[in-house]
Amino acid sequence: MFDCANVEMRELLPELAAGTLDAPTRARVEAHVATCTECASELETLRLVRGAFASAPAVDTRRIVAALPKPPIVAPLPRPQVAPRRWMDWRVAAALTMVTVGGLSVVVSQRRQQNGEDGHAAALPRAETTLVVPPPVRLAVDTQAPAPRPQAPRVPSATIRAEKAQLSFGGGVDDLDRASLEALMGVLDEIERAPVAPSAEPGRVTVLPIISDDTR
Amino acid sequence: MGKDRDPNDDSTDVALIARWKAGDERAATELVERHAPALARFAISLGERTDVDEVVQDTFVRAFGSIDSFRADSALRTWLFTIERRLILDRRRSERRRRDDTTLDEADAATEFDALDGLVAEEAQARVTRAVERLSRLQREVFLLRVNEGLSYKEIAEVVGSTEGAARVHYHNAMRAVKELLYV
Repeated sequence: MFDCANVEMRELLPELAAGTLDAPTRARVEAHVATCTECASELETLRLVRGAFASAPAVDTRRIVAALPKPPIVAPLPRPQVAPRRWMDWRVAAALTMVTVGGLSVVVSQRRQQNGEDGHAAALPRAETTLVVPPPVRLAVDTQAPAPRPQAPRVPSATIRAEKAQLSFGGGVDDLDRASLEALMGVLDEIERAPVAPSAEPGRVTVLPIISDDTR
Repeated sequence: MGKDRDPNDDSTDVALIARWKAGDERAATELVERHAPALARFAISLGERTDVDEVVQDTFVRAFGSIDSFRADSALRTWLFTIERRLILDRRRSERRRRDDTTLDEADAATEFDALDGLVAEEAQARVTRAVERLSRLQREVFLLRVNEGLSYKEIAEVVGSTEGAARVHYHNAMRAVKELLYV
């Protein structure tokens, strides 16, 4: 009983018996076995051994799986982070909406006035407007607005009423006697209490002081 | 070397392990079904008689318990064979201590190999079985891992804790002994 001298071919016999060689190698080894009695004998032995030990007692895989440790607890995958909504976002959105809507209404209002469509607004006594409060949208509106209307020279109403109350400020407040000082304070209080009437134009308010007859 | 071993085998094992680690218990079933028959065969080749089922189960339990120590640079089956072999040797040592039996070495390995008798019927296979029975334990392990399981010498060396060259020598000695018993 001799061994084949071709070690390479001999080493590949177990793989040939198992059928795990690729096609070219298998063809090469089979060609060698066809001409080599030692390798043919060894291949026959390998096939007998494989046949004798191929079978294995049936194993209860279900029982084995039941005995296995549980897989490690894996933390759930983190959900994609959603940026928290900040209340500032809503404020910005609300401010933008206000600016847009306010600006549009001003433009529409001014166009109506220019076209004379708004008879009510045109009939308003503009000369009575004494106080103008520009809203935030005023800057955007001014670019399309007509030239500012001429306004009557503003005279401090306190001066008028002081004159009507026959008060004199020639020497300053310190020169007033107690009665004159109380009269002046009363006039100032009336001015402060005067109601603010809404204007036909957005952003404008008109101060209409209510002065009793006795002070006129 | 021209081997046509399924290249997906090892990657499939790695994928199944990853699935099991992620909580998929069905992956464990697939792994057991893939490797249990080979482990049972190897247990028999190591001389196990009636406890094959238990040995295979203990092997899987031990493997899954230390799955993190498995490195994918070797095949999972090779790693399982290593665990099973160590397990059987441990069982045998404790059994020997308990019974105060004689030392088990390669010389008397043949006496523990009766379990194969019931597995073969044909005369030629019975003769082969008897020839393999007469091999030393290490020779038999190497021989059957090479012939039945298709392991390379490198993988066999990993399982039996030897070198690639020594595994090659054991295989050829075993083959020569079996042929002599069969044909002389």
